Amino acid sequence: MRIVAKFLFLVLFCSMSVFAQNKELLYDFYEIPQSLMVNPGVKTSQKWYAGIPVLSGLSFQGATSGVTVNDLFANDGVDFTTKVQDRLLAVMGDRDDFSTTSQIEGFTVGFRGKNRPDDYYSFGMYGEMDVISYWPKDLAILAFEGNGGNNIGRSFDLGDLNLRGEMVNVFHFGINRKVSAALTVGARAKIYSSIFQFQSINNSGSFVTTPGQNNVYESTINADMQLQTAGVRGFYDIVEEDTGTTQKDVTSLFTERVLFGGNLGLGLDFGFSYELNPQTTITGSILDLGFISNSKDVWNYTFSGSTTTDGISVFLPQDINNVNNDLWQELLDEIDAALPHGENQSGYISWRPVKVYGSIRYDFGEGGNPVFDNCGCGVNSGGGTNRDYYRNSIGGQLFMLKRPKGVQAALTGFYQRRFGRTLSLKGTYTIDKYSITNVGLGANLQLGPVNFYVLADNLLSYSNIADSHYASLQFGFNIISWNDN
Amino acid sequence: MFLAMKRFPQTVFAMAVMLLFALACTEEQDFDQINDLQVTPTLASGLFYLESDEATINSAGSLNTFYYQETNFNAFNETYVADNLLEGTITYEIDNSTSKQLRVIIGFIDDSGNILDVETFDIEAGPTDTVVREVFYGPGGKRLQILTNTSSLRVSATNLSDANSVSPAENPKIILRSGAEFLFQLQ
Repeated sequence: MRIVAKFLFLVLFCSMSVFAQNKELLYDFYEIPQSLMVNPGVKTSQKWYAGIPVLSGLSFQGATSGVTVNDLFANDGVDFTTKVQDRLLAVMGDRDDFSTTSQIEGFTVGFRGKNRPDDYYSFGMYGEMDVISYWPKDLAILAFEGNGGNNIGRSFDLGDLNLRGEMVNVFHFGINRKVSAALTVGARAKIYSSIFQFQSINNSGSFVTTPGQNNVYESTINADMQLQTAGVRGFYDIVEEDTGTTQKDVTSLFTERVLFGGNLGLGLDFGFSYELNPQTTITGSILDLGFISNSKDVWNYTFSGSTTTDGISVFLPQDINNVNNDLWQELLDEIDAALPHGENQSGYISWRPVKVYGSIRYDFGEGGNPVFDNCGCGVNSGGGTNRDYYRNSIGGQLFMLKRPKGVQAALTGFYQRRFGRTLSLKGTYTIDKYSITNVGLGANLQLGPVNFYVLADNLLSYSNIADSHYASLQFGFNIISWNDN
Repeated sequence: MFLAMKRFPQTVFAMAVMLLFALACTEEQDFDQINDLQVTPTLASGLFYLESDEATINSAGSLNTFYYQETNFNAFNETYVADNLLEGTITYEIDNSTSKQLRVIIGFIDDSGNILDVETFDIEAGPTDTVVREVFYGPGGKRLQILTNTSSLRVSATNLSDANSVSPAENPKIILRSGAEFLFQLQ
């Protein structure tokens, strides 16, 4: 039980740096080359760009739909146990979650085809870590309150245990094509090189204690639970062995997994941009439509079965000759046999968290000068009226993410202002399960060929960051060329 | 003037970044509070159930013991129970629909065979209403060590009446139920 309590708190505190996957500031912020990563069909104007290795795209986002750090740890004089009961156990539901997503671009390059200037190619590599844990409400209450007292008769849902996490290195290659003056489409293929993956997402079962038909109490459990892991055991064994070369061995295994030495998978991204009229554009994309086949270093843990017990029972005269004095141990053995728990190494498929974006944008306020120089490669010519001639954009975005317990959505309204070709600012207001006061601000700065961007979410929470349900920061450096000079 | 206007966007950006960092603050947090956390669940479980028909009691004879059993019972002295038990209540319920006056004794015995405590139930001849006894262990009640040192239970049931009478009740029985609710300090 102590372990259960510690686990629950570990989940909670690790998840204070929760990350949602929505990149509403980056989406359709076409001045930033990395916007291609959230919509392969975004309009592109550069001739080529190259991300500065490791620094071209760093994103760290954090969110919790339930309790915040400040709720529990504010130095407010309130008893900590009371805070846990009132602000955690009484408030959080089984659909509240803690999740983390972070991405680091290893390298990324984009270039326009020489012979087909309407085609824009991009490739690169990035690492991503994604972890989500739903609040195991019933298990937490069971751990804190127990099955007795007021919980007699309460059925605890074992399916509340629902978590998934992975670290993956992604190699990608994409094509973005300007089909017509109004339509741009794009697709990207991805190879996933998994470093580790774990999931426990299809659990079911219950545990209930009631006044018994025979005895004072009767407890019934039925469980069908499984934790699947791939790539975890290898790291665990290295750390467990503690041979003195632990760090070196971990690094070696990590490097091997990053470079296709672990479990592999495939994925696809698709996207488009379509100008309904010279000032109105709709866009959409679907990302990470893919899977990883986990067959190496797989260790799964299972717990299933059902049983009911009301303690040691003796019925006379049936048991009159039973002089066995190990009735208690027999009872434990019966329960153990009815609830087999074991390990296996069966491979499994893990699906990537699919993301869908959509947006509508209205451009206005003709500026007279294009934001981008002509790339000199033909793609800008004949484009007719386009966004480059408008200083302002306003619109809305929709984001949806497939999570273990269903689709998670976010709605964003945005305003973008361009100050010549040097600076572009984008402000967003986003509403989702984490926050209804999420105001974000993004800036893209172009100094000659050097491009720098920074995007920060939920700025209102910066007055007390510990009380934030959501925090995110993305930034990066690129080298961009529009001309041959 | 022209230079100043040219630098205006950069200046705005720099000011925005500085403003962001200036605003990014947090109320005082005390993470040591986690050491004050009290996790005290109440766990409930059935313990022991004994049921006997009147024929079995009669077959043992008058003033004889019709059931005697000592069984290992390590539920209480499991390490985490012994280390974390704060208090507990064992509830006994007895229904007697036989015509017999009975005595049931439950002994709590340690590893060395010493009797740590006994619960004795003198039961009137039935049919009777359900007799309920709640025994509290902990501050103000019996010593917790009785539970935490118990490694076996000795249960005996004795017929204090004759060996012939039969209750007019349908399917007469003596039933002893027991269950425990224990409060643990896990953190």
